[in-house]
Amino acid sequence: MEFDVQEYKGSRVIYLGGEIDMHSSPLLRDALLDTIRDKPAKLIVSFRNVSYIDSSGIATFVEGLKHMKTYSGRLQFSEIPKGIMDIFSFSKLDKVFEIFADLDEALSR
Amino acid sequence: MRDIVSIKVLSHPRYLSLIREVTARFCTFAGMDEDLTRGFKLAVDEACSNVIKYAYKGDTSERIVVKYAASRKGIRIIIEDSGEKARPELMKGRDLDEIRPGGLGLHFIKRVFDVVEYDPKKKNGNRLMLIRHGREKHGI
Repeated sequence: MEFDVQEYKGSRVIYLGGEIDMHSSPLLRDALLDTIRDKPAKLIVSFRNVSYIDSSGIATFVEGLKHMKTYSGRLQFSEIPKGIMDIFSFSKLDKVFEIFADLDEALSR
Repeated sequence: MRDIVSIKVLSHPRYLSLIREVTARFCTFAGMDEDLTRGFKLAVDEACSNVIKYAYKGDTSERIVVKYAASRKGIRIIIEDSGEKARPELMKGRDLDEIRPGGLGLHFIKRVFDVVEYDPKKKNGNRLMLIRHGREKHGI
């Protein structure tokens, strides 16, 4: 799994990559909660290079969202591949997370 | 139904990716489309993750056996462990409308398999039988 945080047009973006499963999700959790610790008003996650996610990865993002909601922060997802989007839709996470086609659309909202 | 392939791996999460690869190759042999293959990979991964978490309680030195079979009747995948007995009566996925961490794995398993049952004849450990009827080429 790759986890890289960069600034993009003034917002913080997490560029995720690879497979997120029971093996890698503890690393994702540490990195995500560490990024949220600064209480960014908006955090965008790019899923463009994510090839797989399981329930432990989804649980990690639900936990991250709950942390951000405590200070009214926004966790946004962008560039989600079809296979990952199918899982989010089945899990009804598309109704919980703000999901955008690309980074610029996420930035504009 | 005869097994096409059987693998035995350590109960360490690092080997889940290996199980996913074998599952995907098996699905290709069985003629499944991309969507169904993705669903099978996720379901088998979730079932094996549950073995590590609940049957072995995180012990990474035990064994997980996954057996794959295909015939005109359908697809059968068996997952065996020697850990603590599962209690199916306590297993229930969360309501999908109730958004909280956890509770999704069982939904992903039942999404693609028609039968999700533990073999009551297995004395020590667990034998989870996952069956999907038919061999039609369709998505989830």
